[in-house]
Amino acid sequence: MTSTADRLVEDYLRSLDRELSGLPRARRRELTEQIASHIAEARAGLENEDEAEIRNLLDRLGEPAEIAEEARERAEPRPRRAGWMEILALILLLIGGIVLPVVGWFVGVVLLWVSDAWTTREKLVGTFVIPGGLATPLLLGGLAVTAESCSTEFDPMTGAEISSSCTGGSFQAADVLGPVLAVVLLLAPVFTTIFLARRLRRPAYQPNPGSA
Amino acid sequence: MGRQDALLAQMRRGTLQYCVLALLASEERYGFDLVRGLGAVNGMVTSEGTIYPLLSRLRRDGLVESTWRESSTGPPRRYYRLTDSGREALRDFRHEWSRFRDAVDALVEGREDT
Repeated sequence: MTSTADRLVEDYLRSLDRELSGLPRARRRELTEQIASHIAEARAGLENEDEAEIRNLLDRLGEPAEIAEEARERAEPRPRRAGWMEILALILLLIGGIVLPVVGWFVGVVLLWVSDAWTTREKLVGTFVIPGGLATPLLLGGLAVTAESCSTEFDPMTGAEISSSCTGGSFQAADVLGPVLAVVLLLAPVFTTIFLARRLRRPAYQPNPGSA
Repeated sequence: MGRQDALLAQMRRGTLQYCVLALLASEERYGFDLVRGLGAVNGMVTSEGTIYPLLSRLRRDGLVESTWRESSTGPPRRYYRLTDSGREALRDFRHEWSRFRDAVDALVEGREDT
């Protein structure tokens, strides 16, 4: 009988965890953990742990969907706190790497992940869509320019051009791709910042975060 | 029965969190204990599990705080207690509630005095 009881409880908790998807991970964990310990406490108080008792216990807890709905609904009226931390995170993600190479952007990432104003998915976008922010395209641009140094030799007598050689010849293709890539690399961090900023104004938790 | 349920659900919506605060006013409690306390009042809780999102919100809003404590019978428990602003919120609610209750009583029972 214990195995049936365990299975029922396991199914319940798994279904709850699924229903809670879309909530920030810490809250999701807190809730499943609380419900799990509630079940454990309630089970400890049962005289004989048969299937009917366990089913009653889980019925009293309510449908996982109902608990998840409460978790979302109650969170909604609370305006997202787009405080100094979120604003600083956005600024640092975009230009932090320019102000203070690597470290500036990295602090932005830390603030992004510490904040509960964004979902995990949004945080992943903020972190991986051009790591380094605007500093990355600027740095790459700088490298490309220095790599493409040309030297021209002139005949000392006639002043005519003998040979002209450019190092970094592989950048021939980059002549075409370069500008396109540069625009993409420059725009991506800007769009990411706009995306994250707009997300701040959305109600805290939507029932279906996947549709955004 | 359906209409009565809906009515209760609506009334509960606005008051449940203060009932939780009131239960925590005199002593700290862990989740299961709190749910039992609320369950003792008929009609206060229909789905026990929904208390936990509420507790979590109260904690994030700074009205309650929690500490883990060892239990003699099992794993550690998260105990909740009121913060100063929780106490203040409860005091405000008590004041507003008695006025509100009197006003509703007067209207519903057709009394004009109060």
